[in-house]
Amino acid sequence: MDPSEVEFLAEKEFVKIIPNFSLNMIHLIGGDLGPFNPGLPVDVPVWLALNLKQRQKCRIIPPDWMDVEKLEEMRELERRENAFTPVPSPYYMELTKLLLNHASDNIPKADEIRTLVKDIWDTRIAKLRLSADSFISQQEAHAQLDNLTLMEINTVREFLLDSLNCMYKLRSNLQPGSRKGQFTDH
Amino acid sequence: MVKVVEVSDSSQQKTLRGHEAPVLSVSFDPKDEFLASASCDGSFVVWNIEEQTQVVSWPLLQKTNDVSNAKSLCRLAFQPAAGKLLAVPVETKVHLYERGSWTLVSSLSDDLFTQPINVVAWSPCGQFLAAGSVGGLLAVWDVNSKLCVERQKHEKGFTVCSLAWHPSGSQLAYTDTEGCLGLLDGLSTSSTAAVPASKTKPAKDYDDLFDEDDGGHMDEGLSDTISPLKKPVAAEDDDDDDDFLIPSTGRVRNRGAILADENSMDTGSLKLGQDRFRDDDDDDDDAGSTVAPDAAPLAPLRPVYEGPLPTPPQKAFQPGSTPAHLTHRFMTWNSVGIVRGYNDEQDNAIDVEFHDTAVHHAMHLTNSLGHTVADLSQEAVLLACPSTQELASKLQCLHFSSWDTNKEWMVDLPKGEDVKALCLGQGWAAVATSTMVLRLFSIGGVQRELFSLPGPVVCVAGHGEQLLIVYHRATGFDGEQALGVQLLQFGRRKRQLISGEPLPLSHRSYLSWLGFTAEGTPCYVDSDGVVRMLNRSLGNTWTPVCNTRETCKSKSDHYWVVGVHENPQQLRCIPCKGSRYPPTLPRPAVAILPFKLPLCQTSTEKGQMEEQYWRSVLFHNHYNFLSSNGYEVSEDAKTESQKEQQELLMKMFALSCKLDREFRCVELADLMTQNVVTLAIRYASRSRRMVLAQRLSEIALEKANQIQEEEPEEQEEEPDYCSVRRTSGCSGGQSSIRHNQQEEEEEEVEVEEEDGGEKEMEEAVETKRRVNPFAKEADAPVMPSLTPLGKAGRANPFKVSGSGKPTSSSGQPRVTNILDSMTSSRKSAPLSGSAGRSNKNPVLKPLVPRSKTKTQSTLLQMTGTTAAQKKTPENPEPAADQQKPAAVPPSNSPAENTENKRPKTGFQLWLEENRKNITADNPDLDEADVIKDAMGRFRTLSAEERLSWTERAKGQSGDAAAEMKKRKRADGGGDNETAQADENNAKKKKPLDPSSKLSAFAFNKN
Repeated sequence: MDPSEVEFLAEKEFVKIIPNFSLNMIHLIGGDLGPFNPGLPVDVPVWLALNLKQRQKCRIIPPDWMDVEKLEEMRELERRENAFTPVPSPYYMELTKLLLNHASDNIPKADEIRTLVKDIWDTRIAKLRLSADSFISQQEAHAQLDNLTLMEINTVREFLLDSLNCMYKLRSNLQPGSRKGQFTDH
Repeated sequence: MVKVVEVSDSSQQKTLRGHEAPVLSVSFDPKDEFLASASCDGSFVVWNIEEQTQVVSWPLLQKTNDVSNAKSLCRLAFQPAAGKLLAVPVETKVHLYERGSWTLVSSLSDDLFTQPINVVAWSPCGQFLAAGSVGGLLAVWDVNSKLCVERQKHEKGFTVCSLAWHPSGSQLAYTDTEGCLGLLDGLSTSSTAAVPASKTKPAKDYDDLFDEDDGGHMDEGLSDTISPLKKPVAAEDDDDDDDFLIPSTGRVRNRGAILADENSMDTGSLKLGQDRFRDDDDDDDDAGSTVAPDAAPLAPLRPVYEGPLPTPPQKAFQPGSTPAHLTHRFMTWNSVGIVRGYNDEQDNAIDVEFHDTAVHHAMHLTNSLGHTVADLSQEAVLLACPSTQELASKLQCLHFSSWDTNKEWMVDLPKGEDVKALCLGQGWAAVATSTMVLRLFSIGGVQRELFSLPGPVVCVAGHGEQLLIVYHRATGFDGEQALGVQLLQFGRRKRQLISGEPLPLSHRSYLSWLGFTAEGTPCYVDSDGVVRMLNRSLGNTWTPVCNTRETCKSKSDHYWVVGVHENPQQLRCIPCKGSRYPPTLPRPAVAILPFKLPLCQTSTEKGQMEEQYWRSVLFHNHYNFLSSNGYEVSEDAKTESQKEQQELLMKMFALSCKLDREFRCVELADLMTQNVVTLAIRYASRSRRMVLAQRLSEIALEKANQIQEEEPEEQEEEPDYCSVRRTSGCSGGQSSIRHNQQEEEEEEVEVEEEDGGEKEMEEAVETKRRVNPFAKEADAPVMPSLTPLGKAGRANPFKVSGSGKPTSSSGQPRVTNILDSMTSSRKSAPLSGSAGRSNKNPVLKPLVPRSKTKTQSTLLQMTGTTAAQKKTPENPEPAADQQKPAAVPPSNSPAENTENKRPKTGFQLWLEENRKNITADNPDLDEADVIKDAMGRFRTLSAEERLSWTERAKGQSGDAAAEMKKRKRADGGGDNETAQADENNAKKKKPLDPSSKLSAFAFNKN
């Protein structure tokens, strides 16, 4: 799966905007949106919010979790815990990226938030690598990883699977027939 | 331990040891020989600084283990200058010790001191001693005479923790434990000013004055209180002079005042108002003294006034603005946009931003004039600044919607007149000024009317052609504001809708927002967060519709209201955490609160529904207002709201029925519209409450009569039917046209009555195939029954719109008008048909929604059938009869009879044509079987064929109906006897009858 595809999925998340135009409810396949009243917050999918933002038709209200204090707390928790901590949104990375790239003027302390989210991301990816490493080195048959987001799974999937396959091949060459099925595809 | 340090070089350090607990206070003797200290160990000690020894020690105070536990701060003080005396607050007294001998010279006390004295302070001259106590009491004694010359109570009773005299001795500053700084002024002047009296000139003048006037001008605010007693007082004054032989006249005056005070106490209560009034008078004489504003209306030497205190009047403000002292503030935030003001070092500017960028793009103005108030509308921005020393108060208007090139105008107000509040309406601007004048301008800058306001303005708001003004009606007491409200209407018919009535506010609150809902109903919010809205239908009363504080999470949170909408019901406001106002940054987001009338027991189902009902009624008042003012009103929304209300009433009705509250049911029925009452009747009869049904039917009848009576009169009197009004009152023909139009318009709206009716008709067409045999029967002369009546009742699915109309053409339902007969018969047919097979009909809509608009039809059908069913015991067949051919004697079942009257349907026509064929084929069949057979055959026809028959039937129906009508009338005599269904139905149906004809027209057209 391509990261852009994950991002595409993330764009279906809802975000609050304050439109500066008025429009009746619009009926889309995915559901009804609106009505849009100037000055009144309304929930729309991210793709629409960004589109309106680019046309300067709205102001985006960042989601609750996109707040320096909350993110700092999360970062601390993430660093403290060995396991993955629950994330505020299954698409936190993608949303942060999308919103900060397109609507950083509507988000207070945008730079700090970017750094914090990147920190969290790095911590989590490091954990993921570490667990993958121990998983392989201990030659476990299966492992359980909770609270992973789609994007995170996606980043390690390709490499992990390829390398496992590769190792499998190598091993099976070394000891033909002996340890079959040890490593399974994910 | 007390340490003494030379401040200049910290060279000499002395340590005074001896206190066993924390030291509360210390005081240097003015000659720097001694030092007095008080400690938590309960002692106060005088030290010799040089020798570092205790001179004396008194264990007078209460022992405590820590400063924080000490009841009194025990701030002792040496008399300035000579330092002859040392004042020590001991409990509720002040002990005075003589320097040197350290003997107790005297102790000063006052009855008013019930709590420990915290601090004492000597006046700079050393003659007066001020003391402040825990209870917030302040007193000043004359040390020589040991008399209390002044008493003052802290407004809020906070503990006084520090006192300081003005070097001139005329003022006394104090602080309390709540962090407030207070100043005792004026009240103490005369007494203290008297001290240096012998030396200063003004004081001498004073004395002269006093001499001349024989004591008439004592302390300001005091002399008046004793005015009736002036003479004796004056006399005593003189006596005192002699007795005491005090050198300074000023002191004598004090003495006199004391006596006067005693007198006045004897005379009884003192009127505050008088005091103040007289204060002013005295000011003229006694220019040197100022009278503290309303906060301290007390005269010296008089017991503290404990009655209600006047509230400082709230200042004028703009709705949706944050306080003017903020550097970044909202000057206004309304439904159009936001005006922000910046006033810091580098920038003094105004930002105007519109919620809807389609109105205008955002503007940035430099605020060189220093505008402080602003308002914003779809047409213009109005700004105003207060006057300065050189410049007059200015009004600036950015009329951005102007079509010429001049988008701006400015007006100078007359000298000495300041803009206090302003607002914009549609095409006009209003400005209330400090001279209590309201000036109107056109939006283009033409000066229009001006008029005086009855009091200082608090706030103004405009909407469309309405202007709402709130002003100070009077002085409020005990934290209450006394506000008055005016509502004016401009436009063609200028008038005052509310003329200076008191504006109700919550207890001890002030006005915090004023405005109109988007629909134009006046509305305001007080500082307690209660939103009130004008109820025009109840004599312009104010109804609380929401309490924003109830939704606040914490006590210090508030909602800052920016707008109110009635449809949809929204209270737009900004949640402010821990404050009353939002900051400009980060930009606050608007939240929406629902309305909730503070009805009782809204947790119960009943309370909930009652709340919903009345809220709905209140929030749809604006339709009537708007339509009465000639605005376009969306009929859809209006009927929708009525439907909602009736639905709620019906639910409440059902609930009270369940609870066996029949009386309550009747009360509820009183609120219902007539057609819903009929539904209620049905409900009642179904649940076997015949008494209730009986009563309800009376109500229904009453309502029907009411409508009839009102109709011929002026149409404006009945708001409920105003949708009908416009077209009503004309001939049947016209109204039918209107119906057709309506039908076309409303086709999409399922719940619309017409629509519902139409569908019914379609269903009916189908059903007729089955039931039509009755059409034939119609020829038979039999048919007694209540039919005509019942039919008519059934026939009015258009009840809501039509109910009012019929009377215009006919007071009596039974008119010879051919239209009448046509419609009634035409209409009844489909309905009865559908009633017969309603359960089978997939198109049939859910009962409840339909009932609102076209209850009449469904209801009556049902009553008809229930009536029929009731008879079943006697008559084994009737239920079946409804659908089965009528070999049965028609009189058995009224329902059946109604069917007979139906005009011909497609099947009937077809049957007529093909009857012979059938009889030829099966000569031995009786009538019923013939029809059965015919129905079978008809069904086998193709759809197109059947359709063509029905089309034909429609064409004919008119004539057929006319015939039937005549026949019915002929049979009329028999009706009453045979009508077995309860009379109620008949009664209520009667008045409705004519309305049905309209619907029939609609149908025919289709």
